[in-house]
Amino acid sequence: MRVRDVALEILQTAFRLIPWPTEPGLRPVGEPGPFSPVLVTGNYDLTVRRVLRALRGVDAWLVVAPAGGINVWCAAAGGHLSTHQVVTALKTSGVEDRVRHRRAILPQLAATGVEAREVSRRCRWRVRFGPVYAKDIPGYLAGGERKTDAMRHVRFGLVERLEMAAAWAAPTAIVTGAVGALLRPSFAPPLVALSLLLAVALFFVYDRLPGPRRLLFGGAALAVSLAAVALAGGGLLAFAMAAVAVVLLVAVLTFDYPGTTPIEGASFFEQRHWRITLDRERCKGVYSCWEVCPEACYEKREGVRQVDLAHDQRCVRCGACVVQCPMDALSFEDEQGRRVEPATIRRYKLNMMGRRAVEADGERPPA
Amino acid sequence: MSSLALMRWLESAPHRYDAGMRWLTLGRVSRVHAAVAEAAAAKPEVRILEIGCGTGAITALLVERGARVTALDQNPEMLEQARARLAAAPPGAVTWIERTASEIDALPAAGFDAAVAGLCLSEMSAGERAFVLRELALRLRPGGALVAADEVQPRSTGQRLLHALLRGPQAALAWLIAGSTSHPIRDLAGEVAAAGFEVRSERRWLLGRLAVVVAERPR
Repeated sequence: MRVRDVALEILQTAFRLIPWPTEPGLRPVGEPGPFSPVLVTGNYDLTVRRVLRALRGVDAWLVVAPAGGINVWCAAAGGHLSTHQVVTALKTSGVEDRVRHRRAILPQLAATGVEAREVSRRCRWRVRFGPVYAKDIPGYLAGGERKTDAMRHVRFGLVERLEMAAAWAAPTAIVTGAVGALLRPSFAPPLVALSLLLAVALFFVYDRLPGPRRLLFGGAALAVSLAAVALAGGGLLAFAMAAVAVVLLVAVLTFDYPGTTPIEGASFFEQRHWRITLDRERCKGVYSCWEVCPEACYEKREGVRQVDLAHDQRCVRCGACVVQCPMDALSFEDEQGRRVEPATIRRYKLNMMGRRAVEADGERPPA
Repeated sequence: MSSLALMRWLESAPHRYDAGMRWLTLGRVSRVHAAVAEAAAAKPEVRILEIGCGTGAITALLVERGARVTALDQNPEMLEQARARLAAAPPGAVTWIERTASEIDALPAAGFDAAVAGLCLSEMSAGERAFVLRELALRLRPGGALVAADEVQPRSTGQRLLHALLRGPQAALAWLIAGSTSHPIRDLAGEVAAAGFEVRSERRWLLGRLAVVVAERPR
């Protein structure tokens, strides 16, 4: 079992760009009773195993909701883990027969897709958004279900960067290696190495590059690769192969870079210019935005029950704050200052390229 | 060609769902829809509960036959297409509800003469499907009919092999494009029976891969 776990962990980390669904339903963790906490997550196998690992020593009920077999944040943003799926899971998993309370803890990153108030209206479960990361759940439960700042914010540190690099390195290395081997077997190893190095380099330097970063990154990669071919005494074909590989790899790797990192909003469309705005008149200090913002954009104001949109430059436009605010005090605004209504953000999710099927005035674009 | 694995991709784009489904099923989907409507709305004025109505293809046929339909779908964009399709329906003929099938327990018990589930049960997990089928039985009056159409696993070994061959590449493609694929139900009639229905008939199309099960809530 342990060996299988490790093997799956490696496989799923390397190929996390494809879905890894696991059967939705109820999983008892430890020896849970009728008053044990109920945790909900999506049916991404990697996540479910990590949550179960993090919960060792804890007695709880884990409800796995159908979420397309992808990670919680993407599933929530894309409409695969929304109010519907959470209601469905809470009602059909059998958890209602096992516990004598109606309080469910959801991953915080589900807040962009799951409307807490709507879940409670539709199936009488009270939903709270717990920590971003599974490993913080025991601390969160032990601390009276209170989140520290660290539990509330996404990180993009060494481990997260390596994970993303692995996710892109594995498939690109397989493709370039196969294509190289078809042309000339000796091309395969350097192309595989190039894919691995580029993926790692991307996730460690790209967000720190200035200005035309794709050009800078691609240029540097090309220069280094061609120098390596020259040092190895490669022929014309090797130079051509290296150049083509670098250009294609950089294009593929940087294509959805912002969508692959937790620190930049997906950026293909005019919607990347949307700005989060706070209507001070409507803010009554519910603090749901402060509670669910994974980027720490909000601060509680001193002496008055209101928030400040203190760090809006960090916003990745996930929309969690807009979706959760009961006062509709938050909304997006486009470059022309047109408002996108909260109801629109709640209704229309992001597609795979990070685009919402709405324009700024809330109208649907022609199909 | 013609497995339903790509159905999931079509669902991500409601505006091309109908044309895509016709193409995927070599036109058979229209015949299946007609068979479902015929079985569910045998008489005019019947009250029908339809779960997973999607773009309203079956809903429209039911309304044409004079039924009054309560149609649920969780996807607002699918419902938009359905509303547009039935814009000319008589007032009161359709009630649209943006809800999941698991929420039909909020509807009146024994409040319907028939229930329809068109190509939506296979999207559910086994546990969810069992819950929904049990709840459907409770929404029907005794003697009420359930008509379920869905992608199923073929019965004969030869057909299953052929199915696997045809479906494999499409499932892979659907996986790549939509990040998901459909899950044919192993024993639709058996699951329907397990939920307390009496199965009356089962018809199959497309080399045994598309089934229409007609069942009845015992009197």
